[in-house]
Amino acid sequence: MGKNSILNVPLLSPGWKKLAYVFFPLPVLLVIGMALVNPAIDPNETSQIIYGFWAIGFGILNLTREKVEDEMIKNFRQQAFQTGVYWLIWGLAALMLINFLSFDRVTSEIFTAYLVLFLLNAYIYGAFQYQKYMAEKDEN
Amino acid sequence: MKNTIKVERAKKDMTQQVLAERVQVSRQTINSIEAGKYVPSTVLAMKIARAFGVGLEEIFELEESD
Repeated sequence: MGKNSILNVPLLSPGWKKLAYVFFPLPVLLVIGMALVNPAIDPNETSQIIYGFWAIGFGILNLTREKVEDEMIKNFRQQAFQTGVYWLIWGLAALMLINFLSFDRVTSEIFTAYLVLFLLNAYIYGAFQYQKYMAEKDEN
Repeated sequence: MKNTIKVERAKKDMTQQVLAERVQVSRQTINSIEAGKYVPSTVLAMKIARAFGVGLEEIFELEESD
């Protein structure tokens, strides 16, 4: 199954991490620039721009390989994607519950594709880094 | 799963880095296996046993919790 090409996820070379880091400050600068040009800009639009850029940044980081991509790292990566989806589902359920209790409806303008993609990629990144930290903690 | 990698390394005066290079993983992975934080695949366990020139069960042992 591991050699089945349709299931194979090609990873980017480690150099792509530098590009990913650019996507974190870039939307903030972009939004500031947009606000200066057009002070009446919709705050929802600016938050969606930031979520979108950060989603791309975390997405690139999640799809960039480590220096040594051995079986432990592959195992961590698989666990991170599983945990990320799990946290996303419960996190969104919690947000929907809060929204329901506050406004009597489960849907809200904040639930956009940009937000969901940002949260999913951020959770995956967090779960992956946490596993690496735990593995490196208390080294012999 | 318990293992005696640290003991075998000491016998052979081998560093984690050297063992890692022999079995083609990172030093962090060897460290995690030694510390019992990560259970290796069958393939990696066999590579480690072969690197020391001993049988698999001389290095890895199942615990009650496994």
